[in-house]
Amino acid sequence: MADQEPRKQEDAPGSELGETARQMRAAEPYISAVWKLVGGAVVGVLGGYFLDRWLGTSPWLLLGLSLVGIGVGFYGFLHAMARLGKRK
Amino acid sequence: MRKAMVLFACLFAGAVWASDPAGEHGYANESKDAEGEDVAGYILHHVADSNEYEFEVPLSHNHIPIHLPQILIPLSEGACTPVADPHGGGHGEVYPGLGAGCLDLSITKHTVMMWLAALLLIGSILIWSNRDKTKLVPRGAGANLFEMLVLFVRDELAIKNIGKEEGPRYVPYLLTAFFFILFMNLLGLFPWMATATGNIAVTCGLALCTFFVTQAAGIRAAGIGGYLKHLTGGVAPWLWPIMIPVEFLGLFTKPFALTIRLFANMLAGHIVIFFLLGLIFMLRNPAVALVSVPFAFGIYLLELFVAFVQAYVFTMLSALFIGMSVAMGHHHDEHHEGGASHDHGKAHHVG
Repeated sequence: MADQEPRKQEDAPGSELGETARQMRAAEPYISAVWKLVGGAVVGVLGGYFLDRWLGTSPWLLLGLSLVGIGVGFYGFLHAMARLGKRK
Repeated sequence: MRKAMVLFACLFAGAVWASDPAGEHGYANESKDAEGEDVAGYILHHVADSNEYEFEVPLSHNHIPIHLPQILIPLSEGACTPVADPHGGGHGEVYPGLGAGCLDLSITKHTVMMWLAALLLIGSILIWSNRDKTKLVPRGAGANLFEMLVLFVRDELAIKNIGKEEGPRYVPYLLTAFFFILFMNLLGLFPWMATATGNIAVTCGLALCTFFVTQAAGIRAAGIGGYLKHLTGGVAPWLWPIMIPVEFLGLFTKPFALTIRLFANMLAGHIVIFFLLGLIFMLRNPAVALVSVPFAFGIYLLELFVAFVQAYVFTMLSALFIGMSVAMGHHHDEHHEGGASHDHGKAHHVG
């Protein structure tokens, strides 16, 4: 009985949710996975550009960090997708 | 019948325009560009924020300018000395921006509109919520309208997007955002008023409020540890220097969308109305008014609808983001309480 208590609580709010909220919650892990892919490149390029401007090493940090950012973004994306696949 | 009238108006306007003597065209063309720029300049001046409030006297060319107080705080010594306006063509002075160390906290037209909206909101809520407590049912159109809107925000937005248990906790914030935005939107539709939500700084401030509430909801639901763990993106520690900025930047994508959506919607409607009316002056033909005034009136009615829709959309998305943040925290708890045996993958991705 005590075991079933949390499960009941978990079901109750879910049934209240509207269609949009349910779909958005289901889509959230995928959206965040895609952001890892895009955001990696964004952070790499922007970070490289501004570090270059600051340190005056143009264009080496921009080139290096954008490659690193794209790589990490890809890794994060694949990592998240692999975990989402395992979940099913 | 209505269609026939609009068609007639269009044809009539076209005919009058076409009958313009050819000789005058050459003369008109020269000043038309200047006139066009003038209209655009007038519109931009009208929708932009400014340091003075212009009271336009109806049926005359008189403007009564009311200068609002300018409050400049120099962050470094002498940072707020005025410099020559780079766009003013040699005349006119402007104050340096925040980048140059001058913090501008002046009271502007939009600030006044925000205060006015807040005052009207407080006043109307106080009047219509103060009903006979011995009777259960509110009487009067105002009280019923407000009750309907409040219940709508609670039942349709908060509970449907956040959940039955956590939803009511965020209703006060959602109601404040909804009514404040609604009042600012509606205020801009009255003569002599301005739309504060057509200013990106205002919508950015509102979106930041939602951002902080969303993060607080996430921390509340997951605990500070769970929240920080989510920021690492679930990758190996040596990738954190890249992954944490990525996830941190990702937090701002949602409020950014809120900012732009409200700002662009409110600004665009006003610009469309002004340009429809400005056509009369750009084409230098009073007959254009037969078309552009009814069209502008139609857009105005659409604006009235948009004022409600945008307040709804902002509140709905705020509730949705808060709900997603709360849900993420709860999944994280589940992972810790439920054990890792059956649920490892699921809990890990949200954690």
